Amino acid sequence: MDLLQQCFHGMSFDLFVIQTLNGIVTGMILALVASGLTLIFGIMDVVNFAHGELFMLGAYMGVLVLATTGSFWLALILATLIVGLIGAALQITTLRPLIGRDPLTTILATFGISLILQNYALWQFGPVARKIQEPYTGHFNLFYLEYPWYRLVIAGLSAAIIGGFWMFLKYGKYGIWIRATTQDRVMAQAMGIPVPWVHTAAFAIGAGMAAASGVLFGPLVGVNHIMGLDWVLKAFIVVVVGGMGNLGGSIAAAILISLLEAYASMLGCISPAQAVIVSFVVLVLTLLFRPTGLFVPTPK
Amino acid sequence: MTPRDHKYYWIGFAVIIAALAIAPLVLPPYWQRFLTEILIWGLLAMSSDILIGYTGMVSFGHSAFFGLGMYGAAAALLMFKPANMWLAFVFGLTGAALVAMFVAYFSTRLRDIYFAITTLIFSQIFYVIIFTWTDVTGGENGLSFSRPQLGIPGVWTTPFTGETMHWFVLAVVAGSYLILRRITQSPFGMVLQSIRENEPRTRAIGYPVERYKIVAVMLSGMFAGLAGVLYAIQNRFAAPDFVHFLLSGEAVIFNVMGGIGTLVGPIVGAGFFLLLREFLGRLFGEQFPYLIPLGFIFIVMIIFLPQGLLGFARRWLNR
Amino acid sequence: MSATAAATEIQNTPLIGVEDLHTFYGKSHILHGISLKVGAGEVVGLLGRNGVGKSTTLKTIMGLVRPSQGRVVYQGYPITSMAPHKLARMGIAYVPEDRRIFRLLTVMENLRTGLDRGNVTDARKRELLDKVFTYFPVLAERRDQAGGTLSGGEQQMLAIARAMMLEPKIILLDEPTEGLMPRMVSQISEIIGALHREGVAILLVEQNVPLTLAASQRVYIMEKGEVRHHALASELKVGDPVIQQYLGI
Repeated sequence: MDLLQQCFHGMSFDLFVIQTLNGIVTGMILALVASGLTLIFGIMDVVNFAHGELFMLGAYMGVLVLATTGSFWLALILATLIVGLIGAALQITTLRPLIGRDPLTTILATFGISLILQNYALWQFGPVARKIQEPYTGHFNLFYLEYPWYRLVIAGLSAAIIGGFWMFLKYGKYGIWIRATTQDRVMAQAMGIPVPWVHTAAFAIGAGMAAASGVLFGPLVGVNHIMGLDWVLKAFIVVVVGGMGNLGGSIAAAILISLLEAYASMLGCISPAQAVIVSFVVLVLTLLFRPTGLFVPTPK
Repeated sequence: MTPRDHKYYWIGFAVIIAALAIAPLVLPPYWQRFLTEILIWGLLAMSSDILIGYTGMVSFGHSAFFGLGMYGAAAALLMFKPANMWLAFVFGLTGAALVAMFVAYFSTRLRDIYFAITTLIFSQIFYVIIFTWTDVTGGENGLSFSRPQLGIPGVWTTPFTGETMHWFVLAVVAGSYLILRRITQSPFGMVLQSIRENEPRTRAIGYPVERYKIVAVMLSGMFAGLAGVLYAIQNRFAAPDFVHFLLSGEAVIFNVMGGIGTLVGPIVGAGFFLLLREFLGRLFGEQFPYLIPLGFIFIVMIIFLPQGLLGFARRWLNR
Repeated sequence: MSATAAATEIQNTPLIGVEDLHTFYGKSHILHGISLKVGAGEVVGLLGRNGVGKSTTLKTIMGLVRPSQGRVVYQGYPITSMAPHKLARMGIAYVPEDRRIFRLLTVMENLRTGLDRGNVTDARKRELLDKVFTYFPVLAERRDQAGGTLSGGEQQMLAIARAMMLEPKIILLDEPTEGLMPRMVSQISEIIGALHREGVAILLVEQNVPLTLAASQRVYIMEKGEVRHHALASELKVGDPVIQQYLGI
């Protein structure tokens, strides 16, 4: 009984609403990270281990641009573009030579990339966390708490980027190229689609989306060199739970997992560090009962 | 292998073991310890080769098995007085085996990349548990304990010295190598290799592929746990850093650098990696981010030298 | 006019020339030195039993499989092992045996994969679409339906229509009537005739001998990875000894 009391101590409806909001905010960023991962996986069977490092690199680029120009929005755009270009360069130099080899070699290669990027960031920026100043410092009143507007801005922007990405895939000429290549690489080539470049572009887009999430998330916590691992792990979980290569499933899974984590951290008996375990539990349950993913139709 | 090859193989084996046995007598203490560590990391890498090289499953979660071996040994050494080396092995291996069973049960439901990701995520679960369960595991600081005596308590014991530690580790690693080699050449090992070559066909022939995979993960996990116990005894502490994913990543790097599917290759890879790290550290100072150049070398080797150093040497010798 | 005379006639200006092509899949030798030619606007049939290398010949021309020896020449330029997407842009279209519709893309999006090529004006795009929708009205009806939901015959039409979006000079057409019902077969036969009248060359791989003889000007007959016979289509009949010998019908 003691444990129960400790667990539910301080629970209230207000807290529940606030945590729901928090869960949705992180869920949207996670969805943004996972969308890029899913895009890259779907189109070239590459599990991009370095995705978290691209997120981290984006955040650092944001720090640098913000320090020089003072504009958060410029930082967001430039970081996205620069990291997108870095992504393209990485794809051309390390992943293109591995086309046709065992897909496992690509996970090893991207793991190598993540080691290099992470240690480069440590070497260049040092172990002390940097801060990105949020563009809006205003609050609004939510029950007894002042809830920062910026968090809602993040959720909205993430949703806008994901929506824009979806529209691009659905209606854009290059979006159709990406979807055609995802479904049938060989036939796409035979239809005149330059598949090697579509791969590079998809990797660049995924990298850019990771970088954008990094900049958006930067103001909430600090920016440091190891922030990538947490995100890539969560994004992996999201992608497995949502069903590999399934964009809608990833978004749903991202929000589900973030909400569950937010609720778990309300419990007095669980420390924030342990709340991560909730997402692991979701993963284990998914593997047990629906290894193809929670949000995909049952295959007939 | 022809009988002649057999003879050369055993002569080579004996020469290498002899050289490794004599080494601590001629090496200064620092390098002596360095060599012992290479053997321990080599054992960890060799254990994951069972999965990577022979079954075609890349595990990014070997740190969990290694770490549980470590913490299991720590539990035995802290709980029982006087400290008993054999109990450390029993506890460490049991811990590693239990974790391996848990991980194997879930992760073998998935193939290829999904397996790699799930093993990674599972190892992070154990990392988070160990890191946050401070009352039992000592949290961030880990646990330290004194080293047990070498020998059989009550019959004959002697304290570990640098040399005896090295010989002991050498014996365990060489023994493990022979056992693993035997296993890979056994019918069981053949089934694993057939899973690597063509999983659907292996299943179609009638082998219960999942069960073989579970056994393979457990076997691999126990040898990783063995490496963890050795490391705990050598260093007299257990720390969450050794459960962290980075260690699993290094085990994979050792495999790729040395040559997967060879058992010896991963040990060579561990030696190559640690020597390079040492060399870079001495050249540019302790603070040098050695993983940047090593990461480059790793990627270049994946692209241009997929068989690793040993495969390269073999091809070169056979010219 | 004999087959050799016809061959010499197009010798000077073959649209596609295949010379001594050898292709391997791993260790198995599939093509043992195939040579053939297709003139501009010509429909050429490629007959033979299953597994003699007809499809591999098309894949090798399209750059989807690398030959170990030999070359492919298109409009006088060597194109051996060029990237398939470049060949597609140069006017070589490929309709594979299993159709390979982009199943999750709608009919319209399937067509757009070939249509969105840059330097195609909107007017021209509409013209091309109108043309295929006249040939295949059913595609117009189903334009917003996912490719995977079409019937086998409709998928075949979409595959051909998709190839036409590239405004090709030649279409490599692999077993277009396989598994289709008779009504669909005659429709395919009509469209081959229509493409021929437009001046599009076709290299037609088929099991349906009457259709092939009716649709093509010349035929090559293959066996075990080699061309064994070459004749004008008008010289061959369905019951011909040559056909019986190589095709067993």
